[in-house]
Amino acid sequence: MNCNDLIKSLAENEDGISLPQQVHLRSCTACVALVSDLHKIRSIAADLRSIDEPSPRVWNSLEIALRQEGLIRSQSSSKPFVTSFGARWGWARWLVPAAAAILVAVGSIEYRQSASRHLGEYAKPAKLSVVADLDDADFLQEVSDRTPAVQAQYNDSLRSVNDAIRDAQAALDADPSDPDARRALMEAFQQKQMLFNMAEDRPLP
Amino acid sequence: MVAAGKGNLTDPKTKLDERQAEARAIERAKQGDAEAFQLLYDRHKRRVYSLCLRMVANTAEAEDLAQEAFLQLFRKIGTFRGESAFSTWLHRMTVNVVLMHLRKKGLAVVSLEETTQSPEDDSPKKDFGAEDLNLAGSIDRMQLKKAVDDLPPGYRTIFVLHDVEGYEHNEIATMVGCSIGNSKSQLHKARMKLREALQMYRAEKATGT
Repeated sequence: MNCNDLIKSLAENEDGISLPQQVHLRSCTACVALVSDLHKIRSIAADLRSIDEPSPRVWNSLEIALRQEGLIRSQSSSKPFVTSFGARWGWARWLVPAAAAILVAVGSIEYRQSASRHLGEYAKPAKLSVVADLDDADFLQEVSDRTPAVQAQYNDSLRSVNDAIRDAQAALDADPSDPDARRALMEAFQQKQMLFNMAEDRPLP
Repeated sequence: MVAAGKGNLTDPKTKLDERQAEARAIERAKQGDAEAFQLLYDRHKRRVYSLCLRMVANTAEAEDLAQEAFLQLFRKIGTFRGESAFSTWLHRMTVNVVLMHLRKKGLAVVSLEETTQSPEDDSPKKDFGAEDLNLAGSIDRMQLKKAVDDLPPGYRTIFVLHDVEGYEHNEIATMVGCSIGNSKSQLHKARMKLREALQMYRAEKATGT
C-alpha cells in the first residue's frame, strides 16, 4: 500500500486500522500526520453542535405564528388567569393570590352591578376606571432602574398580563354577553393594576 | 444517533429531572400552554439553530429554518407519544426541513459522484506539503467553524450530519437519498478539504497575513 492507496482506503476505513493501513503507517510519517489530523477534525466537530444562539426574533416570530394558528390557546374559564399569571412572578408569587383574591372580591361586586346596567359594553367597573390610564411606557420607565433580572421579570409579567387582556378582549368581542369573558377581562385588568402598583412600590388595594 | 463518548458530564439524577420536566412541558404544550412552548424552545434552540447554520452557512436562512422546524414540531406535538426521545424527533425534523430547503434552492444536497476514486485534489503533492504545515497541536474551534462554512454544500451536508451531529452513514444515505459508499466518500473529501483549509489558516497566521 502506498500513500495514494492509503488515502483512498481512509474513505472506507476512517481510523487506519486495517492491516495494510497499519503496515504503511509504520513507515510513513506524512500519512501518520494525515490520519492524526483527520482524527482531530473529527473529534472536535461535535463541539460545533450547539455553538450558536438564534436571535430573539426567531422566538418572537414563532410565538406569533403559534398564536395565529391557534396552537397557543387562551385560558379556559376553568383555569383562571390568576393562576398562570402568578406562576411567573417567582419571588413575588406569595403576593399575588392574596391580593388578587381581595381585588376579585371587590371587583366582582362592582361587575355584577355594572353588567346589569351596561349589557354589551366592556366590563370595566367604576373602581377600576384608573386601569384605563395604565401606560406600558410609564411602567417600563418605572422599572428601568432595577437590576436586569428584576427588569426581565417585570417585562415578562407585563407581556403575560397584556396577553391575558388581549385574549379576554377577543373573547368578549366575539360574544359581548359572555360573563366568563367579562370576568376574565376584569381580572386581567386587576392584575395589571397590581403589577403597576408593585413596580411603583405602592400598597396593593 | 448522538455520537457516543462526546463528554456529557451531567449527573444521572439531573438528567432524569430534566427529562421529567421536559415530559411535563410536552404535555402542557399539547394543551396549548404558551410557557411550555417557550420552555421547549429554549431547551433546544441552540442545537436546532446550530444545525441549520452549519448546513446552510447563512444566519438569516438558518433562523428562518429553525423557526420552521419548531413550527412543524409544535404543529405535530399532539402526535408525540414518547416512543423516541423528544430531541431525536426534533432533530430529525430539523434535518428534513433543511434538506427540503436545499433541494428547493436547487443545491446538490450530495454530489452525484458514486466512486471513492480520488480526483486530483487528493494527490500526495497537495496533501503532503511541507511537514511544518501539519496540524500540530489543537485545532481552533472557530477556525473549524469557518472552514465548515466554506465547504461546498454537498460536502458540508455530509460532514455536518456525520461528524457534527453523529448520524451513521446508513441513516445519512436514507435522509439525503444517496448510497452509503457515496456518503463515506463525501465525508472523506470533506475532511480532506477541511484539513487543507485549516493548514492554510495556520500558515496565514504564521506569516501574519
